[in-house]
Order: sequence, then structure tokens, then C-alpha cells
Amino acid sequence: MNLRQRDRINPHLDLDTVDAAADLMALNMGPQHPSTHGVLRIKLFLDGEVIIKAVPYPGYLHRGVEKLCERLTCVQLTPIFDKHDYVAPMTNEQALNIALERMLGVEVPRRARYMRTILAELQRLASHLLWLGTFTLDIGGTIGGGASLMMYTFREREPILDVFEMLTGARFHYNTHQVGGNRHDIPDGWAAAVKTCMDQLAARMPEYEEQCVTNSVFLMRTKGIGVIETPLALELGLTGPNLRASGVDLDLRRDAPFHAYDEIKVNVAVSNGCDTHARFEVRIAEMYESIRIVRELIDNVPEGPICSLKPVRTVNQIKLPEGKQMYTAIETPRGELGTWLIGGGAEKGACPYRLKIRPPSLHAMAALPYALVGHTVSDVVAVLGSLDPIMGEVDR
Amino acid sequence: MNYISGSWSALSVTLRNFFRPITTQSRLDKPARLPEERAERYRASFALVHDEHGDTACIACKICENICPSSVITVVPGPKAESPNTGKKRAWLEDFTLDLQGCIYCELCVQVCPADAIVMRRVQEIPGYQREDLVLTMDRLYANETAKPHTWANASKLKEMQDPTRGLAPAAEATDASAAAPAAPAAPPAGAP
Repeated sequence: MNLRQRDRINPHLDLDTVDAAADLMALNMGPQHPSTHGVLRIKLFLDGEVIIKAVPYPGYLHRGVEKLCERLTCVQLTPIFDKHDYVAPMTNEQALNIALERMLGVEVPRRARYMRTILAELQRLASHLLWLGTFTLDIGGTIGGGASLMMYTFREREPILDVFEMLTGARFHYNTHQVGGNRHDIPDGWAAAVKTCMDQLAARMPEYEEQCVTNSVFLMRTKGIGVIETPLALELGLTGPNLRASGVDLDLRRDAPFHAYDEIKVNVAVSNGCDTHARFEVRIAEMYESIRIVRELIDNVPEGPICSLKPVRTVNQIKLPEGKQMYTAIETPRGELGTWLIGGGAEKGACPYRLKIRPPSLHAMAALPYALVGHTVSDVVAVLGSLDPIMGEVDR
Repeated sequence: MNYISGSWSALSVTLRNFFRPITTQSRLDKPARLPEERAERYRASFALVHDEHGDTACIACKICENICPSSVITVVPGPKAESPNTGKKRAWLEDFTLDLQGCIYCELCVQVCPADAIVMRRVQEIPGYQREDLVLTMDRLYANETAKPHTWANASKLKEMQDPTRGLAPAAEATDASAAAPAAPAAPPAGAP
């Protein structure tokens, strides 16, 4: 970066006031770029190879989930919610069902709450494993030939999907939660399968971490890249690992406990680095923490029923009170997934009147114009990968 | 210089892997998982079943058609008639279509069936050349009944598993085993509500 380039960097640059035709090059990255984690288009304004301004354009994966929520009843919504964050479907289901339960004042049985906690942590592991693989793939070639680590993390993710299949019958779109509890109880041998899976992962995780942090190329590509300072992160509404990597100690699992998190201790990983490497460190630390939580809970699942309401028999059996509204948020692998729910919609209140989703990925995307400027085109994929956005969740 | 040392440390991982036991399996050594090796709850395709008297179990109550989130089920009820096996008058199914092109395999139709008539299979349908090949007609659904394996679940078993009083009654032995495998399915409910 030369001095002229440094002076021109400005995330709020108004392109009408500069002679854009003179030497700024507009480059569209995406929507079909393999490293944009779905269909994201980023318009980059370049001076040489230095990014002067970056504008993300989401919306290519819009499926109208929120509108669909006004037409489907509460019973039908869970399988739909599986699909908006397609890397962590389990926590999406939980976000919806917790919102419905809190609005109706339904108590969840203790066994179901423990199961939900285990499932949420397993899902966090699966999601972070996929993130680790694609992130190292994106910054390509630095970790032993690009795709090596992705192969390993996908291999580790498989047993987690297998235990999900054992419990729910589906590898990905589970539909295993309902208002008042869970739909599927723990089968025989499930705890043993989970323990085997965790043992394998715990034995192999240090090696994956070591592959990254001992590699000088990896450190060069991540340290000091994509800095999001603490005030900016708070202003943009970043949550989850991205916020904790900017030095803010906030985790809803500990600060506003849901599921069974009030009965266990959650150690929250925080880093003051604010850069891509800090976000990497926080996520790796979270994975170790998730392994610990799963191992702690898997033997202590209490006996009892798994659902406090009668099983689903008809389509409009759950009715929401009219005019009541409520915001509920839980911590997903990507941050605070909030649900703003207004009761009393169609079908005599069986549908929500309005259901607004607050996706953590959308707010992570908002940091892109600030995190990218001043870096080169090859750093875009590193910063984007470290923010871990899921486009299905951004566009809904 | 950093790039050379970094590349060397990355390649040394690759080198180390040459001297480790093989962890990935070749497809030639082990073929794809058979349906029987899938988890007992794995859900893929559908089947309509007969009840214990030999009648077709479906009573055309349309609950599954109503609850399907993607509206892929079409039920056409037939006229009421006496059963040749039990002599009781009941509703019969005229036609039933399940369009797998839009199915999201959420298991809600299985969950709500009052007659335990629809179950899921552990085998996926084979790919077809036309769109019509992915539409399960009534004949294909009844043919699927004999083509095992099915998943463990039907409506009664699911409802029994989710029973809010399960394990709370003092007489019931709420052990993990009974929680895991609901052995005796409850008697199927008499008819549509």
C-alpha cells in the first residue's frame, strides 16, 4: 500500500465525488464465487490491488421464510426453521421453539432441556468444524496443500451427524423439537456413541490447531487482517464469536441462560485481538469448551418425560395469544439468534401474526465494509471466512 | 523466507501422514451403507400399511394433508363401507398421492396419523427419468409396505415416546431401556376425531 492508496481508504467513500472512472476499478466478487460461503456478492473498489471501498450485496438466497411464518401454523414451522441456517439447523429449531414456549408460558421438562443443551453443543461443534475446514480452504494452500484440513474436519463432522441420525432419523433437517419439549427420546447406545465421537475429536483437535498456529504463512495471512475494533463491533451489533474476538465478554449461554445452561458452568472464550486470528482463536477455544460440556452432560441426563404438552395431533393445536409480543434470543454457533414474535395471526391464532428473525450473520456482514478496506483482494476470503456468515441466514 | 518455512511446516504434516495408519476407507473395501445398516430411525421414503385385520389402515381423515408444511400430500376419501374382515362400517381411501419433489421429510404426517397408516422407510426412492417417477401414488405406497426396512416409528410409538406423563407415574418403571425402545405400541385410536 503506498501513501496515495492509504489516503484514499474510506469505507464511507461517496463514489459520486471522486473521479471513479479515472483509476478506481470496480470488481464484483461473487455471487458465484466459491469462497463467499453461498451466494454473496461483494462489490470491491480497487486502487491497484488495495481495497478502497467494499459493498456487500446480500439477497440472492431470499426464500421468504418470514412471510411463510405468517401462513404456516406453529406446529408446521419447526421443519421450515431448519432451513434458514443450513449449517446449524438444530439451534434454529431451538430458537423458534423457545420463543413459542416463552410466549405460551410452557415449561420444558428437565430431560428435554438437558437433551437440548447436548444437541446445541454438538451442533456448535459440527458448525465450527465446517467453519474451520472452509476457512483454511479459503486462505488456501497454506495448511498443507489447501484442502487437507477440510478433509479432516469433514471427517470429524461425520460422526456428529451420525449421532444426530441415530437420535432424530435425519442427518440434517431434523425436526426433533416441538413446543414443550423434544420429539425423539434418546435411543439405546446413544450416549456411548456420543462419547466415542467426543473422544475421537478431543484427541485430534490439538493437531488441527497446531497445524494452523505453528504455520508462519497462516499467521501472516490472519494476524492484523480484518480488524474490527470493540466500539465498531458493538455499534454494528456483532454477536457470538465475532464479538468475543473484539474483546467483549458476552455470551447468552452464560448471561441469559436458556436450556440447562443455568445448571452448568460455561467458560466464555474472549480475545482482544479484534482481527481474523482472534476470531480463529475464539472459535477453537469454543470447540474445546463444547467438547467439555457434552462430556459433562452426557452421563447426567435426568429421567422423565421429554415433552410437557400433549403430542401433536392436529395442525392448529397450539394457539398464540392475540396481541402479545416477545423477543427471545439464544446463542447459536454464529451468535445471538433472536426471534421477534407477535401472536394472533391467521387460522384463529395458530399462526404467528409476525415472526421477525434477527440473524447473527447479517450483522457480521455489516462489518465487511470496515474490515476489508486497506487490504488486498486475497484477504477478502480470509476476512469473510473468519466472520463465518451463512447466506441462508442472512437472506432468509 | 516465511513462505518457505511455512510451506515446509505444512508439507511436513503431509509427510507425517505417510507413516500413519490409513483412516479413510476406500469405496472398494466397503460399499455404501446398506439400508439395514442405517440408524433405526433413519427416514427416507414412505409407505402405507395395512392394519392387523388385513384392511388398509388409512381412513382418509386428511390430517396429514393439512399438516404437511409443503403441501405435497393429496388425499381423496372414498365412500363409507363395511369392512370385509371385521364387518364394521368405516371410511376408505379412494386415492392418495405424495409428491417427493417437494417433501422435506419432516415426519409430521407420520406423527399425526390417527390410524398408524403412514410410516417411513429407511430406503430412498431410486432416481427417475421423469418428474412423475418421484410422485408416490397409492399403488406405489402400498407396494412399499412389503419392501422393508421401515423405520421404527409410527404415530402411536411417537406419541407414546412424547407422552408428557411418561416416567412420572409411580407404577411405571422409567428405565432408560423403556425410554429408548417403546416396546408395545398402544392400541390404534378408533377413528378420526
